[in-house]
Amino acid sequence: MDGHPYGYNIPISEKTKEVPWEEKVRIFEEIKSDFRFKEYLFGCLNCGVCTASCPSNRFFDYSPREIVQRFLEEDVEVIYDMMHEYIWACSQCFTCWIRCPFVNNPGGLVIIMREVAVRNAFEATKDLLKPYGRVLLKVMTTGNQLSADMLQPDFFPDWGPKMQDNMENLRAKRMAIPFDVGKSVKTAWEVSLETAIEMYTIWRETGIFEMLEKLDPNLYNVIMDIVEENEERWEELMEEEEEE
Amino acid sequence: MGHGKSPYLRYPEKEPFPILNRNSHYDHLFEEMYELEEKGEILVFRITEENQPVEVFTRTGRIKLIPTNKLWHHKSCGQCGNIPGYPASLFWLMNKFGLDYLNEPHQTSCTAWNYHGSGTSNPVALAAVWLRNMHQAWKTGYYPLIHCGTSFGSYKETREQLIFNKELRDAVKPILKKLGRLTEDGRIVIPQEIVHYSEWVHAMRYRIKELYEKEGKAKGIDVSNVRVAIHNACHTYKMIADDYPYDPEVYNGQRPAASTAVMKALGAQVVDYSTWYDCCGFGFRHILTEREFTRSFAIQRKLKVIAEEVKADVLITHDTGCTTTFEKNQWIGKAHGMYHPIAVMSDVMFAALACGAHPFKVVQLYWNCSNYEPLLEKMGITNWKELRKEWEDTVKYIAELEKQGKYDELMEFFKEYDLYEPYSKTSDGFRRRRSATADMPLFKS
Repeated sequence: MDGHPYGYNIPISEKTKEVPWEEKVRIFEEIKSDFRFKEYLFGCLNCGVCTASCPSNRFFDYSPREIVQRFLEEDVEVIYDMMHEYIWACSQCFTCWIRCPFVNNPGGLVIIMREVAVRNAFEATKDLLKPYGRVLLKVMTTGNQLSADMLQPDFFPDWGPKMQDNMENLRAKRMAIPFDVGKSVKTAWEVSLETAIEMYTIWRETGIFEMLEKLDPNLYNVIMDIVEENEERWEELMEEEEEE
Repeated sequence: MGHGKSPYLRYPEKEPFPILNRNSHYDHLFEEMYELEEKGEILVFRITEENQPVEVFTRTGRIKLIPTNKLWHHKSCGQCGNIPGYPASLFWLMNKFGLDYLNEPHQTSCTAWNYHGSGTSNPVALAAVWLRNMHQAWKTGYYPLIHCGTSFGSYKETREQLIFNKELRDAVKPILKKLGRLTEDGRIVIPQEIVHYSEWVHAMRYRIKELYEKEGKAKGIDVSNVRVAIHNACHTYKMIADDYPYDPEVYNGQRPAASTAVMKALGAQVVDYSTWYDCCGFGFRHILTEREFTRSFAIQRKLKVIAEEVKADVLITHDTGCTTTFEKNQWIGKAHGMYHPIAVMSDVMFAALACGAHPFKVVQLYWNCSNYEPLLEKMGITNWKELRKEWEDTVKYIAELEKQGKYDELMEFFKEYDLYEPYSKTSDGFRRRRSATADMPLFKS
C-alpha cells in the first residue's frame, strides 16, 4: 500500500517495505508496552485541532492527528514508516496535548517512538542525530547540555554579528559575571566531580550508555574515555582523602 | 473532590475565575502523594513557614504554595551557558530583598532538553536525575526553585508518572539506593510543589513593584510607556497544564498569569497579539540542527505578527529556549526582507532593569543578540553606552591580570566585584563544603 486512503499520504518507503512484518509488529508492540502509552492515547474525534495548531505542521510534512489515528487503527506499517524521519519533525511543544478535547498527547507518543527508534538504532535516526553528537557528548559527560564554549560563531553565522563579539575574550567575559552562575566555560556552572560520577551511575543503571553505543559507537567510545578518566580521578581523590 | 485528607490539596471556597476542569486527574496526584507518604513509601519535602510561601491559583483553582525564601537554586544549563544575565538578575533581586538561598555545584541539568531533542534517555533515567537533584536540595534544607521551563515541565510530568506508577518507583528506587539518595529509612524524596522561577517572580510582583518605585524610579527609570508583548513558554503551561498560576487579573484567569502579572504590576503596557499561544520554534533539536525551521517559525509566527499588530518594544519570555530563539533569530530575517527588530528578555531580566540593575554587569545584555538598545533608551537608561564601556573595561582588566598571572590581585578584585561568595549565601553564613574532594569541580575554572 502506498500511503493511506485518507490522511497519511506519504508513500511507504522502500526501507519499510523491506523489513519483515514480524519486526514491524515487534516495534509496534514495544511502543505500546511503554507505561506512558495508555496515558497518552484515548479516543479521537479526528477534529484536527492538534494539527491546526502544530508548529511543525506549518513547515514539515507532519501531523499529530495522523500519529493518533494510526495508533488507534493499529496501522503497523505506517507507524513503522513514521519511525524513520516523520517523528523527528515534532517540536515537542505539547500544544497538541493542551488543545485536544480527549486529552490525547501526540507529542508524548512521539517521544516514546523516538526512544524506541534510538534503542533499536534505526539508520535514519543515526543519520539524523549525527550533527547532534556535540550536545550528547556534553550532556553525557558533564551533566550540562550547554556551555558557553559550545556557542562558537562559526557554527551560528545566522545569529548575526553580535555573536562574534560575544565569543572574543570568552574566559574573561565569563569571569566578569558577578555571580557564580556562569564563570565556567566548559560547563554551564561548576558541576562537582562527585555529582558527575553519580550521573554516570544513573546512565549505566538505566541503559543510556548502551543506547548510545548502538546509536553511535565512535561517540560512545569518546564518551566512555572521559567517563572512565573522571571515575579514576574520583577514586584517586577518595583514596587520598582516606589516607589523610 | 477526593477524600479531603491530603494537606497538599486545597481549593478556595469561591472560584477565583471561571474554571473548566474542576476534577483534574492531575490534582488527584496530591491525594495519592499523601497516601504514599502515609504508607512510608515517599517523603514529601514540605514547604514551611521558613520558606515564606505565597498562595496562587492554578488553572483548576487549586491553591499552590510558592516558596519565596530559603531556596535551593536549581540552575538552567541554557541560561547559565548562554543567557547568564537571566539567573544573575534573579540572584540580584533576591539579594535586594535580603532573601536566603543556596547556589551550589552538586546538581546536574534535568537532561530533559536532550531527551525531547534526541530521545536518548528514558523515564527511569529522567526520574533518577530529578530525584537525585531533589534529594540534594532536601539534604541542604533549602527548597528547590527550578530555573528552566523545560526542567519544570519535565519534573511535573515525572512526578505525575512516579506517583501514579508503582513500576516506575520500583525501577528508580534501587538506583537511588546505590547513589545514597534515599532517606535513611529508604524513602524517595518528592517535593510538595514543583516551583518555577517565573512563579517566584509572579508571587513577588508587588515587592518588585515597590523596589522599582523606590530604586528604579530614583535612577530615572520609567516603564509606563513601554509596550510589552508576552510569550508564555510551552513547557511551563502546556506540559502538565493544570500546574501553573492563573489569576483573575490576567485575562480573567483564562491565560497563564506569570510574567503578564508582573509587567502589569510594574505599570508597563501589556499588549495582546493574535499568535500569543504559538510556541517559539525552539524545538530542542531544531534550534541546533534544523535552524531553518526555528528561524522561519520564530519570525513568521511571532516576531512579524508582534511587529505588525502591536509594535511592542520588548518581547518578554520566561524560559531558556524561547529567549534564545527570539533574540538570536532576528538578524537573519534581513536576508529575506523580514527583519522585525525587538528587544527580547525574560521577565526577571526586565524586572531587574526596571529596579535599577546594571544592564551589563548584572543583566548581562552583552550576550543578547536582540535589538535591546532602543528599549534601554525608552526605559530611561540613557547612559547605557557608558555602562557598557564600564563592563568592557572590567573584562579587559580581568583578562590583563590573568595574562600577567596576577592571581592574587584577581582574587582581591573578585572579593569586591562579585555580588556574593560562591556557594555560601545561607542564613547562618555557613560555607557548605563537606570536603575538598566532595566539592571538586569537574573542570577547574
